[in-house]
Amino acid sequence: MRSAIGRLLSLTVLFVGIAIAGSVDRASAQTVDDILKRGKVVIGVNTTTPIFGLMGKDGQPEGYDPDVARLVGKYMGVPVEFVSVTGANRIPYLLSGQVDMVIALFGITPERALQVSFSIPYAVEAATLVGPASRQVKTVDDLKGLRVGVPRGAMQDLILTPIAQEKGINLMRFDDEASDLQALISGQTDLAGTGLLVNRTLNRNDPGKDYQVKLVLRELHFGIGVRRGSADLLQWLNTFIYTIKNDGELDAISRKWRELPLENLPVF
Amino acid sequence: MSYVFQFGTVWRELDHLLLGAWLTLKLSALAMVLGLAVGIAGARAKVSSSRLLRGAVQVYIEAIRNTPFLVQLFFIYFGLPSLGLRLTPDQAALLAMVVNLGAYATEIVRAGIEAVPKGQVEAGRSLGLKPWQIFRFIVLMPALRTVFPALGSQFILVMLASSVVSVISAEELTAVTDTIVARNFRSFEFYFVITGIYLAMSLAFQALFAGIDRALFAHWADRA
Repeated sequence: MRSAIGRLLSLTVLFVGIAIAGSVDRASAQTVDDILKRGKVVIGVNTTTPIFGLMGKDGQPEGYDPDVARLVGKYMGVPVEFVSVTGANRIPYLLSGQVDMVIALFGITPERALQVSFSIPYAVEAATLVGPASRQVKTVDDLKGLRVGVPRGAMQDLILTPIAQEKGINLMRFDDEASDLQALISGQTDLAGTGLLVNRTLNRNDPGKDYQVKLVLRELHFGIGVRRGSADLLQWLNTFIYTIKNDGELDAISRKWRELPLENLPVF
Repeated sequence: MSYVFQFGTVWRELDHLLLGAWLTLKLSALAMVLGLAVGIAGARAKVSSSRLLRGAVQVYIEAIRNTPFLVQLFFIYFGLPSLGLRLTPDQAALLAMVVNLGAYATEIVRAGIEAVPKGQVEAGRSLGLKPWQIFRFIVLMPALRTVFPALGSQFILVMLASSVVSVISAEELTAVTDTIVARNFRSFEFYFVITGIYLAMSLAFQALFAGIDRALFAHWADRA
């Protein structure tokens, strides 16, 4: 019995220790000079989402976002170190200083901007629900009783969670988009929350079901996320995006991965 | 820039956390009971005279103990539907936990069985007991008593491993926490608190096992 108390006591000490350690610095604001001095830029990308980011056969991330990240490295003149992040952990990765910036299908919203700062948009997307052609869905009300998979913390999750109960939606949250789509393919869900173009990839890998975008929940734009207060880095990124938009490099990336020319992106 | 803990956010979400912890407890407790049953059956088969049975159990043990739990989980949830077996996330999680624990428990219980002195088995045989009677009345209880601490830690491990079933959308403690954190970004506070909850659950299970140990096996110890 005494040993149990002793164990509890030591665990308490450990926990208090962690709490004290935790109350010291979170990673602070980032400047361009910090990155140049270190000689590499650490960028969080998503590697589970077709078109915007997947792990390539050579073990390197490939897709729209990784290509934008490589351009960041090119214009900064430093090598890029990739870190795989998900919708749920990209903000913790950023705030804890494990990455310099996040280029990972990061939809710009005012709620998120309370935690991180966004660059001007570099891509347009939409939060959609995708399902086989046989599934009839016209409005959110048609989702009643359906199993709808979403990547945890992604836009589809944020939009559907407040109305799931009222509308009778069986909302199922997966850790990343890959398992969300896998669940759709294996019939564990009826619809998958994803983007505008992913159904093309689905139809290539699982032909015969004719996957379609059934519902557009919200149109959104992706920005590059940095820690709040990093005005210097943010200014550089906006300049960078302005440049690659105007010299055609971003258009080339869009045509390569989205098979669409770059739309006219808004600025702020 | 200093980090300011805001535990008020945790307090507001406490009912969600407790709901998640409840599923973790339910899954774990069921997996422990069923996993032990699989383990006892597996160990019995492992020491049986049938070579076919021994071989089958050996394949099961090697397949499970040499592959990651996460992969077994994906196999059951995403793979089995193509064979026509569609399980809900909770069912798939429980099945994966039972199958996983069963393999480890089989080896643990087998070790216990082999530690039972041969003389006792021979004594049973000379009394004219049937093989299943010898197993049930002479071998099983001393075997379980010997390996009970090892079983206990394996049980705890499976409870902790249940945290990964969030990947198939089972809403246990870790999944609930991930979902909340994805919304309010207070990751440090929430992971801090659920670490404490997991710790409390582990200690509670340990206390429970100690109680079971005393209740079931105390009188054995006197004779030993």
